[in-house]
Amino acid sequence: MDGVHDMGGMDGFGKVVAEQNEPPFHAPWEGRVLAMQRAMGYAGAWHIDHSRFAQEKLPPATYLTVSYYHRWALAMESNVLERGYATPDELKAGHAKTAGKNLPRKLTPDVVGASLSRASFYRPQQGPQKFKPGDRVRTKNIHPATHTRLPRYARDKVGVVELCHGCHMFPDSVATDRGDNPQWLYTVVFESRELWGPDADPTLKISIDAFEPYLDPA
Amino acid sequence: MGHMSRVGDHLVAVENTPKRHNMIVCTLCSCYPWEVLGLPPVWYKSAPYRSRAVKDPRGVLDDFGIKLPKDTEIRVWDSTAETRFIVLPMRPAGTEGWSEEKLADLVTRDSMIGTGLPLNPGQK
Repeated sequence: MDGVHDMGGMDGFGKVVAEQNEPPFHAPWEGRVLAMQRAMGYAGAWHIDHSRFAQEKLPPATYLTVSYYHRWALAMESNVLERGYATPDELKAGHAKTAGKNLPRKLTPDVVGASLSRASFYRPQQGPQKFKPGDRVRTKNIHPATHTRLPRYARDKVGVVELCHGCHMFPDSVATDRGDNPQWLYTVVFESRELWGPDADPTLKISIDAFEPYLDPA
Repeated sequence: MGHMSRVGDHLVAVENTPKRHNMIVCTLCSCYPWEVLGLPPVWYKSAPYRSRAVKDPRGVLDDFGIKLPKDTEIRVWDSTAETRFIVLPMRPAGTEGWSEEKLADLVTRDSMIGTGLPLNPGQK
């Protein structure tokens, strides 16, 4: 979706300010939110792309003004409600009022270590690989109203395929409950002037990881 | 480098050379090789970094007090899928023959994101 989360190339956000001796969390609740997110992920309540999409759907003013883990918490609330794990009434009360829907599995202390392993996003190949390193490609001019990994700044641009990462589950499908729909994944490199015009820094090159449905031969 | 089973199955290390400096960003959210580097710092997930890294990386480096030669190629990797990238910093001058352990002491987190350079011998 053409949301405010798609920030690449926007102006006006100011300098990058690094905090010295930054703690892992700035308040105890942030750690709890991270733990809850992990627990719900392990439970199979929804996919990580549903979390991402839920964040993108927050009102732009909210997205830009709340902290990172607050955004996670708000997205989690949306998914809990949308997927029927709790009612608005229960969220407000802070406890269950009905038996509720069962989770596919539960994160318990004995499996926490194993649950931190990152899942594999590889999927069996679904068809022949259309592009190979060195091929020139043009990204599509698409504006889906749902989750996509093709950032606005890299739409309808010509680049060169540099790497092929095999077939991966396709987030655009996963986030909208249309299954894994595996697709070939490539690193595509663009010259800065192709993205940012004639005044761009000529020493700069930018790459994105692009799924095959985003690409046409150029 | 050692065992990295928690990274999942797709981590790509990109090497800095005298000709090329690499920088990692996730413009859409906060993708980061956290299994190797830990939780990302707040600035990595912030709007200023996500918006500017792909368009004005030299300006971002300036915010970190880093100035690169004008002719150094800058390559920005936007982590838009599940592939994770990590920068292999350049060996600092005067460290020839150093052990892996001794070299590791010079490597900073930011030098593996590309917003910093490794420490020089004697800076540690």
